[in-house]
Amino acid sequence: MDTEDLELSDEEEEITADVVLKTIQNLWQNERLSPEILPHRNDMVECMLGQIQHMERNINKLPKTDLRASIHKMELNRIKYIICNYLKTRLDKIEKYCITIVNDEKQRTESGTNYLTPSEFRYAQEYLLSIEHHLKETILNRVPGNMQAFEINKMAIVPALQSHVFLKANETVNGIVLEDHFGDQDEEIDLEEGSQHILQYKFIADLVKNGKVQLV
Amino acid sequence: MFGEKVIELLKESERNRETLSPFNDEKIRQIIEEMHILFKLNMNDANATSENKSLWTTVQVRHSALERNKRCLLAYLYDRINKIKTLRWEFGSVLPPDIRELLSDSEYDWFSKYSTNLATFMRSLGQDIGYSGIDLTENLRPPKSLYIEVLCITDYGKLELEDGDVVMLKKNSRHFLPTSECQTLIRQGILKQIT
Amino acid sequence: MDPYEIEFIGENRIASIIPNFSYDKIYLICGEFGPFRAGLPMNVPLWLAVMLKQKQKCRIVPPDWMEIDNLENIKEEEKRSRFFTKMPHEHYMVEAKLILGAASEDIPNASEIKTIIKDIWDIRMSKLRTSMDALMKSGGSYGRLDHLTMMEINSVKPLLPSAMNELLKIQMTSKKSSSATLNSSTFSQSGTSQNL
Repeated sequence: MDTEDLELSDEEEEITADVVLKTIQNLWQNERLSPEILPHRNDMVECMLGQIQHMERNINKLPKTDLRASIHKMELNRIKYIICNYLKTRLDKIEKYCITIVNDEKQRTESGTNYLTPSEFRYAQEYLLSIEHHLKETILNRVPGNMQAFEINKMAIVPALQSHVFLKANETVNGIVLEDHFGDQDEEIDLEEGSQHILQYKFIADLVKNGKVQLV
Repeated sequence: MFGEKVIELLKESERNRETLSPFNDEKIRQIIEEMHILFKLNMNDANATSENKSLWTTVQVRHSALERNKRCLLAYLYDRINKIKTLRWEFGSVLPPDIRELLSDSEYDWFSKYSTNLATFMRSLGQDIGYSGIDLTENLRPPKSLYIEVLCITDYGKLELEDGDVVMLKKNSRHFLPTSECQTLIRQGILKQIT
Repeated sequence: MDPYEIEFIGENRIASIIPNFSYDKIYLICGEFGPFRAGLPMNVPLWLAVMLKQKQKCRIVPPDWMEIDNLENIKEEEKRSRFFTKMPHEHYMVEAKLILGAASEDIPNASEIKTIIKDIWDIRMSKLRTSMDALMKSGGSYGRLDHLTMMEINSVKPLLPSAMNELLKIQMTSKKSSSATLNSSTFSQSGTSQNL
């Protein structure tokens, strides 16, 4: 798990397939372990899908009994697993935190810092609409008049950003402030490269997003 | 007592955490009826509170009961939605009839919408690069070629495996074979698993 | 994450094998490996090593750290130290489990090795329980845990993080907050060393 991979990918330069793969592995791991949905990296996913497609074509040229074919297939299965699990994890969060995510995403889209891919955003909106429709049809439209509202704020589930997570620092980051919830006893810690910690997610959410720490 | 029926409804869900029970249409109807009664009582008393202040507390208690019923009814539906979702991942877009029966019509509509939405999403994956989508319901477990060691009991001859490998099964020879591909031969007594 | 996923991640580690066949280099997405020369040691990812072993196409060469003398040293040091010592690598348990599982006949003294590794794991687990206890008693909301491997960290999920979440909730709701300070507990003595 290399830190440089994450930084490279923002630029429009050629990166090798193994770097893309490592990046996706790290993204998957972070997505699995963070309480909130993380910014999408569709560029990486599409790049890897392209690699898979290319490889599948090559495998088809090999005789079925070729040992190399089964090795390549095994590797592709491993990569497909990561991609599927990564995307499924995102869908699970989109469904669970649907109302919060749709609201936040509307604002993020305005500022061009969207976390969801266009497909994911469409999925989230459709999902929310379908739930609203179902609840109205089965319950809300049948209860007394002043109780019929679909109270979106009461229904919203918010990710628990204060929950504790394990992390490993990819590079040294100094001066992380662990805010005391009573306001007067803030503590400051340094994350040295390679060190591991358990702390509240909200203090290091930005570092997860910019790849300076890895959730473990 | 207000709100008792709705608790029974939630307990019903709670009892079967993993599985879906039949949609309890009748109980929901009763709870909604209770809500209408409470609502009517409140409307009458609310008009009278200007003369009789002591009614105010009664009105508030009824209002809380109404809110609670609403909240619990929605929780019941939401809990079922989560269970219905997993059906899509397990069975695909066509439900076996015995499971279909457990859903209300509105739930079945919801299931169809969920199913379509998910299918649209999966088809969109990789579309920009000419990919025809990915089925996310596959590949959800870490791939393992699960092999077991087996002992051959009789001379069987050649066995071609799914990956194209050909194994010669001779009496007393030992092999590592994919678990899934040698179950039949084990049942037939041709192979024996060595643990 | 479940143990299978940790194992899956650990399977990316490079292992050494001696193939019994010859082949050109193979160009995988995760890198190029080979050429395969019958009888000559070479490196491949652990998942591939296990796969080839299962097809009886290679012997697996156990890593240096899995030699009895080295393991005894690790065990002694782990016993002596109050803190977690640095393990051979992040996925030592996964590597040992897979190699011993798939290729125990390639490993001299396999069962003895299994026992020592199990001992090391047990010593570390018991330290981990003590540390968790201390962390919770100090009312801490922060802990440092250098040198713990992924599998070990995973073994205290969800217990430790959820206990800390609960503790935080109690502290937040408690009005008598004067004594609640944000104590931190240090799991290891120094932060200069790395795990990988």
